Amino acid sequence: MCTCFIVPRDILTKLSQDPRLPPDIRKAAADTARVAQEIRDLRIQALRLTSIATMIQAPVTAIAAAPAITVFDCGHTQSLPGRPISGPQAGDDSAKRAFDETTQVAKFYKDVFGRNSIDNAGMTMMSSIHYGNRFNNAMWNGTQMLYGDGDNAIFVDFTLGNDVIGHELTHGVTQHSLQLEYTDDAGGLNESLSDCFGSMFRQWEKGQDAAAADWLIGSDIIGPSARDRNITCLRDMADPAGAHCLAPQPTQYSQITPGMDPHYSSGPPNLAFYTACKTLGGKSWEKIGQVWYRVMTTFGPSPRMKIPEFANRTRQVAGQMFGGTPDVGDAIEQGWSAVGLSRSEGAAIA
Amino acid sequence: MERLQIERLGGLAGFGGPGSRIKSKGEVGMSDLSAADQRAVADLFDNKTPIPPPKPDAFRYRITRQTAQGTQAIEVPEDVVPPALRNSVKDTLE
Repeated sequence: MCTCFIVPRDILTKLSQDPRLPPDIRKAAADTARVAQEIRDLRIQALRLTSIATMIQAPVTAIAAAPAITVFDCGHTQSLPGRPISGPQAGDDSAKRAFDETTQVAKFYKDVFGRNSIDNAGMTMMSSIHYGNRFNNAMWNGTQMLYGDGDNAIFVDFTLGNDVIGHELTHGVTQHSLQLEYTDDAGGLNESLSDCFGSMFRQWEKGQDAAAADWLIGSDIIGPSARDRNITCLRDMADPAGAHCLAPQPTQYSQITPGMDPHYSSGPPNLAFYTACKTLGGKSWEKIGQVWYRVMTTFGPSPRMKIPEFANRTRQVAGQMFGGTPDVGDAIEQGWSAVGLSRSEGAAIA
Repeated sequence: MERLQIERLGGLAGFGGPGSRIKSKGEVGMSDLSAADQRAVADLFDNKTPIPPPKPDAFRYRITRQTAQGTQAIEVPEDVVPPALRNSVKDTLE
């Protein structure tokens, strides 16, 4: 089955009517065009469902079962979802990692934040592995995760990164909570939340506190030719501008410009989160992570949210959750001050 | 012969951004493309192709061509780029 976004539907229709093509190819094109339309309709329905589910979250959560975890094998094509894989014992290391780590992410969100899957209503967590040919990417496409195998030079198999899996699934959580757009400040926040929760998930699996964590994103998917050039990660939340990063980021909010790729504008909020966690000490998910999660999930959709607004909400929530423990609010203030968004700087921008 | 320059951007690793050490570029001749792909490219430059909203960590492509009026460039999501263009790029480290 092809997805609607690989080949435009009008081209598929034209191919299905091209007399120069063999009948089986014409039939496949016609079938794919029909399926493409169905998937397009399904996406529209999914977006509507996201909005409705957000409005009636509490009752849905109460009755929802734990999420099913499903994995499919694309067989090095870009056809989705691919062949279903029966379970983690199927003999494919990528499949085993996708099953195991997705299960762990579900447990992380449940045990640490009380969240039931991506939508907080038990949504099936679906992954496709071996996506594309030596595909150097992983992504959340609005309904599921996709993982490439990497080219074994710059990148290796993207399922090797537990933070990558946590990152992609968190894009789904954001879609079902703040519903942040993927441009400008909102895009940077969207990316940053995925890095923050991906890193927290990695630390949680290892039982690490903020001092022991490496705060690197994607360190386990860096391939040999990149390592030969002293590249050790995609991003470093503790040192966003570091030369060891594949894509060094800005460290100050003032450096963010309109239209900047979200993987760059996420640098300052990443550094703010790291600084807050490191300043407070202890395990990132126990206090600072709880504040970030509350901001992400309790204010309703905020698709165009600005980073200073997010910062103010963390201050507000920290006061509500940990008012008797001023260290938490102080650590968060230090975090935002480190990126040029202290309380007074943020007020001046607003 | 009209040439198209293609650059892959974004993705989980932030391809092609300011300071990024990974670049992904390629080039194809319009006449080397199938008739369907030529039409698809023309539709992209003419804004006739519906553009879906950006998806997290998805690639985008910057496609550049030379016209009588000068250089023309568009930036579009991977979903709408013909495979022949997507497959023309090569990932390299700088």
